[in-house]
Amino acid sequence: MSTLQSIPVVATKAEKPSGGTGNLLANVFDELTAFCRSRSLFMLHYCTGCGAIELPPAMTSRFDMERLGIQPMVTPRQADILLVTGYVSTKTLKRIILTYEQMNSPKYVIGICSCTVNGGMYWQSYATAKVLADYMPVDMYIAGCMPRPEAVISGLRELMANIRAGRSDNWRDYYRRYDHYLGNQQRLFGENWQTPTDVIGEARHYGQFGPETLGEHTALLERHQTPLLPFEMRLGLGGEKTGVENKGDKR
Amino acid sequence: MRPENYQSVSQPPSNEFELFYGPNHPGIEGNYALKVRVHGDEVTSARADGGYLHRGFEKLMEGRLWIQNIALVPRICVPDPVPMEVCYSLAVEELGGIEVPLRAQWIRVMQLELSRIAAHLFFFGGHAATTGMYTPMFWGITDRDLILDLFEELSGGRVYHIYNIPGGVRRDLPPGYLERVSKTLDYLESRLPDYDNLLFTNKVFVHRATGIGAMTQEQALEWGVTGPNLRATGLAFDVRRDDPYLVYDQLDFDIPVEAAGDAWARSLVRRSELKESLRILRQVVAKLPHIGGAIRAPIPNPLAWNLPAGDVYTRVESSKGELAYYVVSNGGDKPYRVHVRGPSAMHAVQVLEHLATGARIEDVAQIMFSLDACPPEVDR
Repeated sequence: MSTLQSIPVVATKAEKPSGGTGNLLANVFDELTAFCRSRSLFMLHYCTGCGAIELPPAMTSRFDMERLGIQPMVTPRQADILLVTGYVSTKTLKRIILTYEQMNSPKYVIGICSCTVNGGMYWQSYATAKVLADYMPVDMYIAGCMPRPEAVISGLRELMANIRAGRSDNWRDYYRRYDHYLGNQQRLFGENWQTPTDVIGEARHYGQFGPETLGEHTALLERHQTPLLPFEMRLGLGGEKTGVENKGDKR
Repeated sequence: MRPENYQSVSQPPSNEFELFYGPNHPGIEGNYALKVRVHGDEVTSARADGGYLHRGFEKLMEGRLWIQNIALVPRICVPDPVPMEVCYSLAVEELGGIEVPLRAQWIRVMQLELSRIAAHLFFFGGHAATTGMYTPMFWGITDRDLILDLFEELSGGRVYHIYNIPGGVRRDLPPGYLERVSKTLDYLESRLPDYDNLLFTNKVFVHRATGIGAMTQEQALEWGVTGPNLRATGLAFDVRRDDPYLVYDQLDFDIPVEAAGDAWARSLVRRSELKESLRILRQVVAKLPHIGGAIRAPIPNPLAWNLPAGDVYTRVESSKGELAYYVVSNGGDKPYRVHVRGPSAMHAVQVLEHLATGARIEDVAQIMFSLDACPPEVDR
């Protein structure tokens, strides 16, 4: 039985997604959706670090991000962009991952400030996670401590151009290489780390299931999950008792 | 965990719910959370849940040189970073026995007051937004940007300006800077009646903020409240006047006081402080051209700078309250121990827990914003 320590740390590379399907009508439809998506981006209102102080000036009268079609949104379910503004402590990173998994695809992650790139000022801190891209796919970095509102807007415009051209689809990477991201999360949070989201099921549902979706880390996750009982047994609608104790409320 | 693995837990019939108020919530200031128990819409108990922004500053500062820490300290409180730099510099100067030139002291006072105005303008916006009024937020943030422009010209940074160093300030004022400061002051002064009309005498705001989150003076002293929140309960205590640092003893200003101790009083105190800060800045702008001399006392090579052993406690008045540094040196080139006494740690934890209990759920955001707590400073 493998443990977290016995699994080797392998640096994997994302494979390039294949091009269009060849179907002309589908390509036109994709173009149209990409255009519409790039022009109405909802940004999750979650101030994770000090970079959030430059977002109010960027959103209000002086720099006015709303003219680009970008607006803050309070729930992750309706948001398109997750802005990670600055350093992420371990406690925040858990919430960021939960938030990211709740967002609907396509979703984009922007790492603002130097701290999300490589740890920045807090490279020797015991409390922060250093490289954000280890834990979730990042579409755009805006470096600086802290980036000016002009830099934030320029980064968002570049993201819009990327979405328009179909270059920004890193959200697929989270499904295709879930094992890699989960492994990094497990190394930071411990091997019984789990989120309420069924990422593997979503990967199958969205057609993003790849050879690297499952691996040794997802096997570890399976082992720590509560055993699955048939639906009828849980509701007591008949069926045999299996003797498996219900551990659902152990948190 | 898979969705189908969720087990329903049977609860006794009750109207009580536990809500997670934050960290991803529009009614919370920054990355901070509260766990509130509500009965209907009345909060029966609230527990602060911090630590989302913990970076371990006090430990990080032990590993860096005296001069390197200057880059680290403003990050402790993001909306109001200048008092952090100044307070740390004062501590290091006291340890090393450095006499700061008079011109540098006046420049520091100018920065401190500009930073206070910027923080208060940000506060008005936040407080008004929690009562459903969004225009003051737009106005406040836009006017705050004028001050950030002044800071940018002075130091190169909009938000973090590593401008104060032990011994003085980095460089002298740019030519024509004071005229631009006074133009900005004129503009801000002309805006004050607009703010009164829009926010402070607005019936919506007055009705919404009166009586919310009220505390008495005894409670405030017991909970360790300082700064504008303490002055809103009727006690005229201000570090600038009662334990003067820099050149505050040569300046003429009043300490605004309100008696009620509620959210409305807290916002009124800050509004009057804005006026007083403008008054102080007028004096500084008038005085600075007549003060010549150096802007920085000579310090030894900062990369090999050992400070004599000892410990100091310095305090300044930031826009949030009393900010203090306790710095211990063991004769080395790095601090042996630094403790930051942030005002927000008291305001956002015990005071907020007490005031939120018994309030209605829609007022919790307003109470938090009216206390003007700064989550990065709580967690450090």
